[in-house]
Amino acid sequence: MPRYSRKTDQRPSPWESLVAYTTLRALVAVVGLAFLVGCDRATATGSGKVAHLSMATAGPNTLDPVQGSTQYDNRASIMVYQTLLHYEYLKRPVTLSPLLLTQLPTISEDGKVYRFELKRNVFFHDDPCFPDGKGRELVAADVFYSLKRMADESNLPKGWWLLKDSIEGFDAYYEQQNDADEFDYDMPVAGMKVMDDHHFEVHLTEPFYRFSYVLAMFQTAVVPREAVEFYGKKFARHPVGTGPFRFKRWDTGIQIVYEKNPNYWEEYYPEDPGLEEDGSEPYPGYLKDKKLGFYEDAGKRLPLLDRVELEFFVQSQPKWLKFRNRELDYTTVPAENFEEAYVKRTAQVRQAFSDEGIRSHPEPLLDLIYYGFNMEDRDFGGYDDTHKWIRQAISLAIDWDERNEAFYNDLCLIYDGPIPAGLDGHPDAHALPHAYRGADLPRARQLLAKAGYPGGKGLPKLVFFTSRGGRNAEMAEMSKRHLARIGVRVDIRLVDFATLSDALRNRRAPFFALAWGSDYPDAENNLQLFYGPYKSPSSNSFNYDQPEYNAMYERIRVMSPSPERTRLYEQMRDMVVEDAPMIGSMGRTRYYLIHKHLKNFKPTEAFFNWPKYLNVN
Amino acid sequence: MWAYIIRRVVYNIPVFLAIVLLVMVLLRQQDPVPGLLGKNATQKEYDSKRKELGLDRPLMVQYVSLLNQIVRFDFKQEMWTQPGMTVGEQLRKAIPPSLSLTLPALVLTSLVSISIGLFSAFARGRWLDKALVFFAVLGMSVSFLVYIIFGQYLGSYQLGQLAGRPIFAIHGYEPGLEHWAYYLLLPVLISVVVSMGYDTRFYRAVMVEETGRDYITTARSKGASTAKIMFVHMLRNAMIPIITRIMITLPFLVTGSILLETFFGIPGMGNVLLTAILNSDFPVVEVFASIFSGMFIVSIIATDILYAVFDPRVRLQ
Repeated sequence: MPRYSRKTDQRPSPWESLVAYTTLRALVAVVGLAFLVGCDRATATGSGKVAHLSMATAGPNTLDPVQGSTQYDNRASIMVYQTLLHYEYLKRPVTLSPLLLTQLPTISEDGKVYRFELKRNVFFHDDPCFPDGKGRELVAADVFYSLKRMADESNLPKGWWLLKDSIEGFDAYYEQQNDADEFDYDMPVAGMKVMDDHHFEVHLTEPFYRFSYVLAMFQTAVVPREAVEFYGKKFARHPVGTGPFRFKRWDTGIQIVYEKNPNYWEEYYPEDPGLEEDGSEPYPGYLKDKKLGFYEDAGKRLPLLDRVELEFFVQSQPKWLKFRNRELDYTTVPAENFEEAYVKRTAQVRQAFSDEGIRSHPEPLLDLIYYGFNMEDRDFGGYDDTHKWIRQAISLAIDWDERNEAFYNDLCLIYDGPIPAGLDGHPDAHALPHAYRGADLPRARQLLAKAGYPGGKGLPKLVFFTSRGGRNAEMAEMSKRHLARIGVRVDIRLVDFATLSDALRNRRAPFFALAWGSDYPDAENNLQLFYGPYKSPSSNSFNYDQPEYNAMYERIRVMSPSPERTRLYEQMRDMVVEDAPMIGSMGRTRYYLIHKHLKNFKPTEAFFNWPKYLNVN
Repeated sequence: MWAYIIRRVVYNIPVFLAIVLLVMVLLRQQDPVPGLLGKNATQKEYDSKRKELGLDRPLMVQYVSLLNQIVRFDFKQEMWTQPGMTVGEQLRKAIPPSLSLTLPALVLTSLVSISIGLFSAFARGRWLDKALVFFAVLGMSVSFLVYIIFGQYLGSYQLGQLAGRPIFAIHGYEPGLEHWAYYLLLPVLISVVVSMGYDTRFYRAVMVEETGRDYITTARSKGASTAKIMFVHMLRNAMIPIITRIMITLPFLVTGSILLETFFGIPGMGNVLLTAILNSDFPVVEVFASIFSGMFIVSIIATDILYAVFDPRVRLQ
């Protein structure tokens, strides 16, 4: 410790007499000068057409498609990379079409063999990873190399589940190569056959219908081997693809900047299909699209922008203010600003916003917000009548309408079962007559009494896991109040998402709140959540395992869309509603506000490669 | 003095080791792997990931491995949530923006608060003192978040609307002195306003204590001017608490400000640390906690040394 001793004849040094006063004056001068510099800073954005887009996150985790899993990874990487298939931009409901292919793959009669033809003259971006820095042409071997990367655990792949059990010999290859000292990308896989540089085949183990959707998912985007080997681990931050935009820079935590790919292959803005001969629309919403000028750029070469700046926002206020200041071209509307922009009762955009030329676009999401039970839980799981009645009673006590009104401005869609609106198997008018939708307290109390717990007496506490963040704490308290009305006591465990994931993985969460965004527009993606073999730690967090359901799932996953498949979807949906491993559901609608200078923007969250169609005035 | 420094460093090594161990133990209260793997992961993938991250090793082995990295200043370990970026790269990118925000804020706050504290103490009991104390208490009573939300709305948005051109950035960052005022002056001013309440009250209390000392009476009786008494005699004698307060604050400069950084889009350590904690990116949190605790220990030792430098009555033994 310092020891103090007194000294008497202290004289002040000259600097001490001036330190505070002089320094303060100097600093004020510096700050004043800096202020002037700040004032003079122009909002220079460079030349050409620039779009200012936003993302509600601190940034993506990676730009390597195989490592990506979130919407943010998808949005940031799909600017640069391309998939074999994609969705038609303006057409609704979303429809698959060829992107890097000359046409949709031809499928053998048994549905197991997919034959592909790649477009000619598709080149990778110019990059130092190539000889002389010139991007080479895309060939069939690149496609298989990219798919094999999804099997290589050293790449930290997040999407192996998309291809697992699908392609002949691929699972064996996965096991063998990951056990080997070095992953051999040149080792052939039985189900992947290259015919020539532009023709190849994939042989499936079963005629999985979802395989086409997988080929439109960003994880299967095509990457060049040269870039992966050249950049090594840094490849996640140095994307090189065939896409309409080239990666320019990533200012961590701030933004990613992309610039137009000057060597982009010949892709054109969709042509105007015109009305059908009988005067009907070629697709729902065509006339509205036409009125909004979505076909004014028809036939023009893509991309229409010179640069895209994708800025990251952790907080909603700065994003909103930047939009209001016209520094962002569009925004989703934060809940706290909803009533500033919209008349809540009608959900119509306010006049002041319309007068500024701001356009509103409500976009329903393929969204499933629900509560789940662990079917292996001793007190609340199980398939016997008693436990089923308890779950049904709890379902009847939850008031979704109140939650919608209190937390979502009454803008969400409440529906029965696990299939979101817009997909085959979704109930007519969003409701099922036999559903256990709350709040129906007399029926809930009746079922609870039938189960042997009148007024909830003797029923153990329901341990409810939910993640922190947003307004989840308030939502959990609301659910607790709902259940208290029938005598069910709730113990809320407000945990971070990692702990929630861990609890689900280890089957320790008797009751939980979660949401699921569909990976592709097919209810099969939602119905797999209840497939027995996918129990935790895989996607079936309910640990629901009904042989009859499992058998139906095994049938539907190899079926093409048909009335028969839809009937099976409905049967599976009804089983889930009756057994009540989940309580739900609710689907959000995202409200977009778009400045008039941004053209051709038709918001969707089913796919994210739309910036190439955007234009600015 | 060197003997003193070496002794203090040696005494603090167990403290440092304990802090690092504590951080590691606390982090491992939850399993990060399910969150890192995403949906549909199998048990095999889970096991493989744990092995790859080294989490299957005993805690003490992981601890020794981390210490080994710290001792060698080897921060080349890849981040768990940002493949392709090492912990060292992340820290190198994030610390400068944080310092661009916190360092000017500290200097400005200290200078203004000390000056106000001096004036307030000298005008003790008069209306000026009461007004300054009132505003200091008022400043302390309002939440930091309120200052940020209103500061951003009024300073970045409304001021820009009034001027017809942007004055301060709403959100964003560019390195370089020429961009500093546009991106950082407003957050710095908000930080200064928030901290001034606390600091002014502290420095006023220090100065008030000094105004009652005999040397002030002596200086007055000798005819010293008010300015000389304030800036020479009082300030000099109040240096110990001032140094203590500033030195203790120094390690926090690198932590940045989570709220200011997230609202203004400054890619500093506050942002990085928050994201790393939320996403269970252990390497970032562990390395940062180690660096921070090391800096904290160093700052405490440096404070003692500075006592002796600024006050010749202090002897380090």
